[in-house]
This record gives sequence, C-alpha cells and structure tokens, in this order.
Amino acid sequence: MLALTRKVGESIVIGGNIVVTIVDIKGDNVRLGIDAAKEIKIYRGEIYNEIVAENKLAVASMDLHEMDKLKGISKNK
Amino acid sequence: MMVQSTRFGEIEVSEETVLQFPYGIPGFLEEKTFSLLPHQPNSPFSFLQSLNDPDLTFIVVDPFAFIQDYDFEIDDEIAKELDISLEKPPQILNIVKVLGKIEDMTVNLGAPIVVSWHKQMAIQYLIENTTYSIRHPLFTQELGQEPKGGK
Repeated sequence: MLALTRKVGESIVIGGNIVVTIVDIKGDNVRLGIDAAKEIKIYRGEIYNEIVAENKLAVASMDLHEMDKLKGISKNK
Repeated sequence: MMVQSTRFGEIEVSEETVLQFPYGIPGFLEEKTFSLLPHQPNSPFSFLQSLNDPDLTFIVVDPFAFIQDYDFEIDDEIAKELDISLEKPPQILNIVKVLGKIEDMTVNLGAPIVVSWHKQMAIQYLIENTTYSIRHPLFTQELGQEPKGGK
C-alpha cells in the first residue's frame, strides 16, 4: 500500500485518470473528493468488502435435494 | 450454446438467457458473462451460471415474490448505462445464500442485480445509504406456506 500525507486542498492522481482531493478535515473525519470517469464505480470500503464476502459465501453449494424444498413456492403476482 | 456447469453438467442454453456483466460481480470481477437459468416454471428462483467457470453458480430470486414493497433508487449514470427507464424497466434479482438448511436462506437486499434484458446487460448495484439487509431471512414461516411480505 502506498501511503502519502496530504493537506486540505492537495490531491493525488491515480493512473492518470483518477484524482482524489482532500476537501476538508474535521477531527477524525476526512472529506475526500474523487474525480473519475463515470464508468469507475466508487464505494465506501467497508460496504464493498461486505458485499464481496457475502457474494463469496453465496456461491451455490446447496445440493439439489435441498432445492426440491423450493418446489412448492410460486411467484406471488 | 453448450455450457459447462458443475451443478447441472453440460447443458444447452439459449443466447437469450446470456447476460453481460461489464463490471463483473464484487468478489468475481473477471466474471463478465452469465446465463440466467430458471429453476422451475413459475418459481421465483433462478440460477446465474458463469459461462466461464463451471463452479460458479449463484441462486437468485425475484424479490417481489416475497417483499412486495422492495424499493430503491438507481442512480442516473447506471440507468443510462443499462438504458433503463419507466418505459424500459429493469428486472431485479437478488443473490440468495444458503449455508445449511434451506429454511435459513437469506437474500442480499442491499446489493440487487439490476438486469436490462434489451441490452442483455446487468450489474450488481450497491444501494447507497440503505437500511436493507444484505442477509435478510427469506422465510418467516414454514416452507410450503406463502410467506408474508415484510422487511
């Protein structure tokens, strides 16, 4: 991991195309501004990591015998 | 086209069931192509099978079969990329997780899969600032009875 120290107003350029700017610092909280192409999805780290973990757990390992129990359920429309 | 699946063996899937995930899926960023396979006619459950990795299958569910008022906003950028609107609404599917008993199945309501069938394109969308759980228990009653809607 690359660690840099920045002051409010200073920025970091990633890959030539992504710019992270320190907008404000208040106590423990750092406000960051991120400029990136709209195709680049930006998420809070803990949220993203939770989804990754949940997706990995969800990869279907359930056996087909268990799936039979779902047969009774029909769409509620 | 023929698809290899560890779960289903070698199966024939039609081109119309194929979805491109241009951003992959969190945890599986390289997986860009899946086929949506039905479980049973009239069942809200389906399988999302990777065309690249036979071991990679997700069970997904139509959330509205269980939670009629499931509701969230999709930001304009994503809506534009998927070309979805009131006139061209997306299909919503949510990944389901079963670790043991099927009665303990949970559904990820916080990160729905938004599908644009006319573009044959989909994305797992992380809802911002949501109170929806990523591990919502799907069954509040015994299997076999119609579960009541609710969060």
